[in-house]
Amino acid sequence: MNSPVKNWREIKKISQQLGRVGKVVTWTKVFVAPTGFEHEVPYLVAIVEFLDGQRTSVQVVDCLEEQIIEGMEVITVVRRIGKPSGEDVINYGIKVVPTQKEPS
Amino acid sequence: MLKVKVAGVGLTKFGELWNRSFYDLAYGAATEAITDAGLNIKEIDAIYVSNMLFGKVDNQDHLGAVVASLLGSKVAATRIEGACASGGLAIHGAIQGIQSGMYKNVLVVGVEKMTDTGASEISTALMGAGSEEERQAGLTFPALYALMARAHMQKYGTTREQMAAVAVKNHYHASLNKKAQFPYEITIEKVLNSPAISNPFTLFDASPISDGAAAVVLSANSSRKVTITGSAVATDTIDLSQRTDLTGLAATKAAAGKAFQQAGLTPKDVNVVEVHDCFTIAEIMAMEDLGFCAKGSGGEFIASGATKLGFALPTNTSGGLKACGHPVGATGVKQIVELTEQLEGRATNRQVAKPKVALAQNVGGTGATVVVHILQI
Repeated sequence: MNSPVKNWREIKKISQQLGRVGKVVTWTKVFVAPTGFEHEVPYLVAIVEFLDGQRTSVQVVDCLEEQIIEGMEVITVVRRIGKPSGEDVINYGIKVVPTQKEPS
Repeated sequence: MLKVKVAGVGLTKFGELWNRSFYDLAYGAATEAITDAGLNIKEIDAIYVSNMLFGKVDNQDHLGAVVASLLGSKVAATRIEGACASGGLAIHGAIQGIQSGMYKNVLVVGVEKMTDTGASEISTALMGAGSEEERQAGLTFPALYALMARAHMQKYGTTREQMAAVAVKNHYHASLNKKAQFPYEITIEKVLNSPAISNPFTLFDASPISDGAAAVVLSANSSRKVTITGSAVATDTIDLSQRTDLTGLAATKAAAGKAFQQAGLTPKDVNVVEVHDCFTIAEIMAMEDLGFCAKGSGGEFIASGATKLGFALPTNTSGGLKACGHPVGATGVKQIVELTEQLEGRATNRQVAKPKVALAQNVGGTGATVVVHILQI
C-alpha cells in the first residue's frame, strides 16, 4: 500500500494542497480503525468543502469533538498518515485543523 | 421483455461458522439450489461466483474454476466482483447469459468466509471497496455511512431512535429465521447503549462479519413460477465526498427507475422487499430512494412499524444484513433466495400474506454500485 515509489510519486502533490480553507460538511468520530490507524483512535474524519467548491474526505486534527460542527472553518496542513509497520516508508499527506482556536 | 425463471434456491446458515470452510459453504448452497431446481450438475450451462475477499484473505483467486471443480463441472465459470453488490451483479450477469440465448440454466453461487480473519484486517480488506482518498483519511465503512447518517440527521431531523428501530425490526424478523446469524430480538435501548463504533453509530447500527453462502439456479424455462422481470445496475462516484447529495444514493434511484420500467410496475405494486441495510441509515435511505416513502421521511416510516412483518410493506423479512448476517459476496444472492421463498409461500413462520411482487436492492461500497431486481409470481 505504501511502497517507496508510490510515496515518491504522491508526496510531490502535497505542496499544492497546503493552506486551503474550507468548511466541514459532515463528520464522524472513528472508534474502530483500519490497520495502521489503530493508535489514533478515537479520531475525527470529515467531508470538507473548500472555497472553490471542491470536496474531500480528510482527518480533522488538533480539534475536540465538542468543537466540531457543520460549517466549522478548517485549513489544510501536512501530517503523517497512519503508522508505518516495520521498515515501511513513512507516509505523509493532508489533514485539516480548525482555523479558530477552541474557546477557552 | 425480461423473463428469467428462478428454478431453484439454496442457502447455508449464516454466522461465525468455525467448522465450515469456504469450500464447504459454496458446495452446500450450490448443491441445494441444483437439487431444488430438480436438475443435475450436467444440466448447468454456466456458473457465476460472487465473492469479494477470498483472494485477499486466503490468497485464492480463480473462483469460477474453484467452484466448478467442487461441483465436478467443466462449463464456463467466472467470478464477479462489485464489493458488497457482487451477488446482485452475478445475478445480473446470469440473466444476461440466459437472455442472450447462450445458456439455458445458470448457477449463481455467492460465498464469503470472513471470520477466519481478524477484525482490523477484515475492516482494512473491506476498504478495498472504498477509494484511495478514503483510505488515506482513515475511513472505514461504518465511518463512511456515519458521515451520511449525520448529514441525514442534520437535513431531515432523523433521530437515533428511528435508526435503532431498523435494527430492532430486523432482529425481530431474524428471530423467525433459523438461517440467521442473530435469531433473537433486541430493544431500542440495547442499540443506543451499545459501544460507539463511529459517531453517531453504535455497534448495533452495523451489520456483522459473517460466513455464509447462497445459490440460485436461473433458467430460461422452468415449471417454477417466480420470474425476474427487472434487473438493473447503476454506478456513482467511488468517492463519497464527490456526491452532491449525502443523504441518499443516486445509484439506487437510477437502478430502481430502470428496473421498474422493465417490469412495467411502480413502487406501489411491491409487496415484500429486501434492502441493503449494511448500517441502519442505509435502510432508511433505501426506502426513500426506492420510492416507498417521501425523501426525508424514511426514519419515521420505519419507526411507525409499516415495514414489519404483518404490516403494509414487510422489509428485510430474512433479518436483513443486520441480523441475518452479511457474508458480503453472498448477500445479494441471499436476497433473491429470501424473496423467491416469500413469493412461493415457502417462508414458513415469517411468510408475508400472498405477495405478488418483490424487490431486492443490493449496494456496493457507499453506493458506487447498486443493483435492483424485481421478482414476480
